[in-house]
Amino acid sequence: MSISDVLTVIQNSVVAHAISKSDHLVGAALQVVHVIGFILLLAALVLMSLRLLGVILKHQPVADVIADASRLLWIGLALAVVSGTLMFVSSPKLYFYKFAFELKMLLFVVAVLVQFTVFRKVAKAESPSPAFVRATVALSLVTWFGIGLAGRMIGFT
Amino acid sequence: MSSLLALAERIEQTSLGTAIAESSLAFPIIEGIHLIGLSVAVGLLFFTDLRLMGVLFKKIPLTDVLHQLRPWMLGGFIAIFISGGLLFLAEATVLVSSPAFAFKLVFLALAGINALYFEFVIARRPEVKENRAVLPSSVRYAGFASLTLWTLVIISGRLIPYLPAWS
Repeated sequence: MSISDVLTVIQNSVVAHAISKSDHLVGAALQVVHVIGFILLLAALVLMSLRLLGVILKHQPVADVIADASRLLWIGLALAVVSGTLMFVSSPKLYFYKFAFELKMLLFVVAVLVQFTVFRKVAKAESPSPAFVRATVALSLVTWFGIGLAGRMIGFT
Repeated sequence: MSSLLALAERIEQTSLGTAIAESSLAFPIIEGIHLIGLSVAVGLLFFTDLRLMGVLFKKIPLTDVLHQLRPWMLGGFIAIFISGGLLFLAEATVLVSSPAFAFKLVFLALAGINALYFEFVIARRPEVKENRAVLPSSVRYAGFASLTLWTLVIISGRLIPYLPAWS
C-alpha cells in the first residue's frame, strides 16, 4: 500500500466525512482550538525558558514555576494535537504534499524529542551549566516557534 | 460604511500596503510574527490572569508575577500591534468588511479598559501592593474578565477568513 492509498483511506473514513461534510464553521472551530492550544503551549514554554535562563522569578524555585507551567503546556499540546489531527484527517491529500506542512511535522518531531530529553533534563537538574541551559532553551524555542511559522505558511503555499 | 470601505481601499493602495499584499513571503511571515507575539504577550497574560484568579502559581507572590512578566508582555504587545498594523495595510477592505474583525476590535477595547482599570484602581489597593493572603474579590474578577476577553479576541481574529461579510 503506497502513501497515496493510505491518504485515500483516511480521506474516505467516517471521521473525515463527518468533518468535511459538516458546516464550514466546524473547520473554523478546529482552527480556533488549534491556535488557542498552540498559544498556551508557546506561552508555557516562554515562561519556563525565561525562568531556566534566570531572567524572571529568580527567587522562586525552578520546580515551582515548571510544575504549573508544564500543566498548561500539556493542555495546550493536547488541544493543538487533537484539533490538528482532525484537520489533517478531513483532507490529508491537501496537507501531505505541502512543503510547509512537511517542515512543520519534521520540526514537531524534533521539538517533542527535545522536550522529552534535554529540556526535561535541564528543568530537573540541580545546577545545570549555563551554556547547556542556554543551548537547550534556544533549541526548544527555535523549533516550537518554527512550527508556528511553518504552520502559518501552510495556507499560503 | 461605504466611506469606510473607500478609506480602506485607499489604505490598501498605499505602496506599503500593496508591497505586503503582493509579496508571497512577507504576508505569511508577518502573520507568523503576529502569532508569535500573541503567544508571548497574550500567553503570558493568561498566566497572569490565572494567578489573579488563584488557579496557578499560588506560591509565587502576585506582585512578582505582575512586575516580572510585564516587560515581556509589553514587548509581545508591541510586536502584535506593529505586525497587526502591517496586515491591516495589506488587507484593509477584507478586514473592514468582516464582522469578525469588528468584534475583535470591540473585545480588544474592552480588554484594554479592563487592563487600565486593574492597573490604576485594583492594583493600587494596599491588599494587592502588600501581597496580603486574602485579596479583594475584584482581583479575581479582573483576571477572569481579561482571560475571557482575550480568548474572544483570539477567537474572533481566527474567524476573520470564515466570516467575510455581515450578511
